[in-house]
Amino acid sequence: MNQKLPLQDPNARGRFPGFDTASQAEYWDMATKAVVAERLGMPPNIRFFTREEEATANALCDQLLDQQEDPRVPVVHLIDARLAEKQYDGWHYEDMPEDAEAWKQSLAALDQDSREAWSRPFHECDLGEQRGVIQAIVDRGSGEWHGMIAKRVWSLWTRYACSAFYSHPWAWDEIGFPGPAFPRGYKNIGVDKLEPFEVRDAKPVDPTRIGDADRGKS
Amino acid sequence: MRLLPGSLDHVRERNESAWLMPPHPGTNHQLRHDMRRFEDDDEVDLVIVGCGAGGSTLMQRLARLGWRIVALDAGPFWEPERDWVSDEAGSHHLYWNDPRVIAGSDPVPLGSNNSGRGVGGSMVHYAGYTPRFHPSDFRTYSQDGVGADWPFAYEDLRPYYQDIEEELPVAGEDWPWGDPHSYPHSPHPVGGNGEIFLEGARKVGITAKVGPVAISNGRFGNRPHCIYRGFCLQGCKVDAKASPLITHIPDALAHGAEVRADSMVTRVGVDDRTGRATGVHYVRRGRERFQRARMVAVAGYSIETPRLLLNSATERWPNGLCNDHDLVGRYVMVQGAPQTAGRFDREIRMYKAPPPEVSSEQFYETDPKAPYQRGFSIQTVSPLPITWSEHVIAQGHWGASLREYMSDYVHWACFGALCEFLPRPENRVTLDEEKDRHGMPIAHFSYSQGENDQQLLQAAQQKMEEILHAAGADETMTIQRFAHLVGGARMAATEDKGVVSGDCQSFAIPNLYLTDGSVLPTQGSANPALTIMAIAARAASRLARGARGGPPR
Ligand SMILES: Cc1cc2nc3c(=O)[nH]c(=O)nc-3n(C[C@H](O)[C@H](O)[C@H](O)COP(=O)(O)OP(=O)(O)OC[C@H]3O[C@@H](n4cnc5c(N)ncnc54)[C@H](O)[C@@H]3O)c2cc1C
Ligand code: SF4
Repeated sequence: MNQKLPLQDPNARGRFPGFDTASQAEYWDMATKAVVAERLGMPPNIRFFTREEEATANALCDQLLDQQEDPRVPVVHLIDARLAEKQYDGWHYEDMPEDAEAWKQSLAALDQDSREAWSRPFHECDLGEQRGVIQAIVDRGSGEWHGMIAKRVWSLWTRYACSAFYSHPWAWDEIGFPGPAFPRGYKNIGVDKLEPFEVRDAKPVDPTRIGDADRGKS
Repeated sequence: MRLLPGSLDHVRERNESAWLMPPHPGTNHQLRHDMRRFEDDDEVDLVIVGCGAGGSTLMQRLARLGWRIVALDAGPFWEPERDWVSDEAGSHHLYWNDPRVIAGSDPVPLGSNNSGRGVGGSMVHYAGYTPRFHPSDFRTYSQDGVGADWPFAYEDLRPYYQDIEEELPVAGEDWPWGDPHSYPHSPHPVGGNGEIFLEGARKVGITAKVGPVAISNGRFGNRPHCIYRGFCLQGCKVDAKASPLITHIPDALAHGAEVRADSMVTRVGVDDRTGRATGVHYVRRGRERFQRARMVAVAGYSIETPRLLLNSATERWPNGLCNDHDLVGRYVMVQGAPQTAGRFDREIRMYKAPPPEVSSEQFYETDPKAPYQRGFSIQTVSPLPITWSEHVIAQGHWGASLREYMSDYVHWACFGALCEFLPRPENRVTLDEEKDRHGMPIAHFSYSQGENDQQLLQAAQQKMEEILHAAGADETMTIQRFAHLVGGARMAATEDKGVVSGDCQSFAIPNLYLTDGSVLPTQGSANPALTIMAIAARAASRLARGARGGPPR
């Protein structure tokens, strides 16, 4: 279980040396252990996305979360499972279809943009080209994009992608968050106070105070 | 004077819930097993729709007086040790996730951000802040020329505030704002986020206080002490944080009430001839059923309560029950809830300790020097990683810069404001063309802000930034959010102004009551759950005293 995410950025990598949330599983209650173990196990099969949609979604989520190497958190499998089971968030905008349909339409539109710009499907574009296509959507903000409001599509993608990614113990290791806390709880609360199982940040200086030259920029 | 923890034993005489809990985190299975069960054909004294903040309080109060009550809830009868997890993504099932459509110029996302589903209602996953409203909240129209006046005054609610504060129980410092008061439990120790709030506020001369939170500080009955694990918004597996599931339902069951979970009410039954409610139509295990009752109370939350009334239209009430004056579903309110975070080289680790720690109500009242009416409060909020990622995304980060910012999580402190948005008739719930799996039209919720609302947002953000910078933050980020939906079937002195009276009785149908957050005419900048419970407790006591004809038999 000692896999680490291969984070590209020189500043973020290794901020919490040796921190391994999953190693604490013996201190978690049964119900919680079960839901977290599922994320560390084999990902569910793709049931909702078509093969083309799966390819586009993978390329998109790899970009959103900067996961360009294995091991990866299987974000698209987790999104697919939610959509297949209609585990939506309990609302959709009046001018957007339900989440599942909105995913399908927006992935198709993303592909269409790349074909127009680069004559290739999104997942066959190189990483720089993909970034350009995505940033153009972000830049539209409240403007329209293929009949939808761009920022609502952005919110849909990032909400699902981040929920999947930051529910994974590997992501917790990277940000210093210990995950489940029942029944053990915390005994040392307060600024700069640590539990014995927490690890201090090895690079505590604000990344924005480090010169841009020292850090990766997306 | 603050009482010492342990001296709340007198509460047991009026609400034994905390003593009916097992002496460890968990459920009293025997109590549920022995629960009384009524037949659909039994004409019970009262059927309640929704076992949340308002519904459960009403049930407990009247069950104690011998009323025969069935309370239906669309969601499950939670068993926290089995159903709840100490995990963010794994708690998705606590929310009302059935489809709803949102619209307007400032649409309000629902689901996890707003309402719950299951016995205990939204308080299962609420943060746990339980401030009182201020006396001025009850007369904003006559005092400030905005909003609406309530049909009763703060003083009428005060004894119910005191009772509920003991029953939850609430912990906090002596409270200097509104009607100054103290709390039954002493304030909790604070974590990093709370320390930053206190430090920054002191430096800029803003008064900040620890609390008020409905989290026991010390043992209360058989309920244990908080373990500062920070997962209050995921349901408290420890039973330290109050929700009706542990504060009112056990006592109601012990007094012969039935909680019928997994029962979605689709219509209130009304006899057009007599003009009285007859019971409720509901769906359980796929079967359509009808529970007869002498009196109906709807407490399904500010979206579901109007939806249910609108969907219960008859020939006599073609536009929905109680809707002759076109008021059902209108004046729904949310508080503007911008959250501003600050970055410190020190490690804050805001996920430790409950998110509700410290608050300030210094800017709650109308400031004659400000260009806007009414005000805002500021509180600690402590988003867990998935929610925190929304804050980072909102700044335009994605890809490598998102991951990098996220790896900085332990260095951030985060506050939230609650801005008193004003009630507007066009902010409303209507029925959509889309239907749910029961064939019931889903709710369509439209929301738009006014100018006063937007000014409050800016003022609140500025104050939060000031506090954070004073505490030493070198960078801040803000995300716009909404919190705490209330209104939609407001109370008023007369039927042309509101759907129910101050006693929560509908003007149109004498044996139909609404006892949840939908009756609030204004919202202040306080979190609403305590006030909702106090209003329901007051309605129960008025019913019991026979102010409206007394108990049905
Ligand atoms: C993330 C979050 C944090 C919050 N934090 C705070 C806080 O710190 N302090 C605070 O005071 N408030 C907080 N709130 C708000 C607070 O929880 C609610 O305002 C309050 O619980 C509303 O009470 P209610 O009685 O109106 O409805 P609820 O408590 O939501 O109860 C409604 C119940 O009715 C049921 N129901 C609905 N329709 C039907 C139907 N047709 N048939 C059967 N059952 C039905 C639902 O399943 C639900 O159980 C928070 C809310 C959220 C979402
Ligand atoms: S921090 Fe305390 S109140 Fe909140 S969930 Fe944990 S034990 Fe319960």
